[in-house]
Amino acid sequence: MDITVPLLGDVEQVTLVRWLKRAGEEVQAGEAVAEVEADKAVFVIEAPAAGRLAEALVPEGGRVRPGEAIGRLEEA
Amino acid sequence: MKEVLHAALGRVPYRSVWALQRRLAQLRRGGHIPDVLLSLEHEPVITVGRQGGAGHVLAPPEVLDRLKVEVVEVERGGDVTYHGPGQLILYPILDLRDHGRDLRRYVASLEEVMIRTAARFGVEAHRRPGFPGIWQGLKKLGSVGVYVRGWVTMHGLALNVDLSPNLFSLIVPCGLHGVEAASLAELAGQPIPLEEARATALEEFARVFCVQLTPLGREALDRWGA
Repeated sequence: MDITVPLLGDVEQVTLVRWLKRAGEEVQAGEAVAEVEADKAVFVIEAPAAGRLAEALVPEGGRVRPGEAIGRLEEA
Repeated sequence: MKEVLHAALGRVPYRSVWALQRRLAQLRRGGHIPDVLLSLEHEPVITVGRQGGAGHVLAPPEVLDRLKVEVVEVERGGDVTYHGPGQLILYPILDLRDHGRDLRRYVASLEEVMIRTAARFGVEAHRRPGFPGIWQGLKKLGSVGVYVRGWVTMHGLALNVDLSPNLFSLIVPCGLHGVEAASLAELAGQPIPLEEARATALEEFARVFCVQLTPLGREALDRWGA
């Protein structure tokens, strides 16, 4: 399952500022996994389900568009 | 019209309001409380946001100690900033799903509150594309820094009303070299009481967000365990 950046309104691109979980770590549904930032606003990306963060697709500092995946989750 | 509960906190230390915001945001996310707006002034503090570099704090630790200015790393967006007496702070704890669900529009609305407030004191301020906040030329009058989880906001805006002392010289504001922090009073050429700026900013907040502000007492915050 993909972990995606939600649609944030009139925002074309965000910067992934911080991963809060590392690849391989277990996560709970709704747990904060990463932070993205646009225009001095940080938005927290939460795990869509419980499982294991299988892969981080975007590095810290990387740019990504809302709707795109930043990581993959292996569901529990 | 939507209602936002407003609590005026006076001059308060950074960390206690930070904890209060986290508690209120958690309650708001759980649907236990309505939207809340905090208005206040901070004791002198330097905060470093997620994009911040410690290198943007210019003053050595011993100087900061002597001035009793703490440096706090926080979760909001943006770089380094200074907060202190004479600066008006508004921290909205809003569920943005009820306010357009648009991160950019939210930041623009906070800027709009500051631009309109400045205008009412005869100061023309504007946005600078790519550099959030409000400006007059290269002088920065107000900053925005926001943190959103589950669409509920924390942190907010800081408007320089009448800074004394102006301790922005301790830092590189926003991590941008060549930026000078200015205040409304400086640009208006007359003293502006913080209380007057606060009342004006609250009126403009209500207009920009199309909400009605209802006073919230300390006892309600206590009741929420906040």
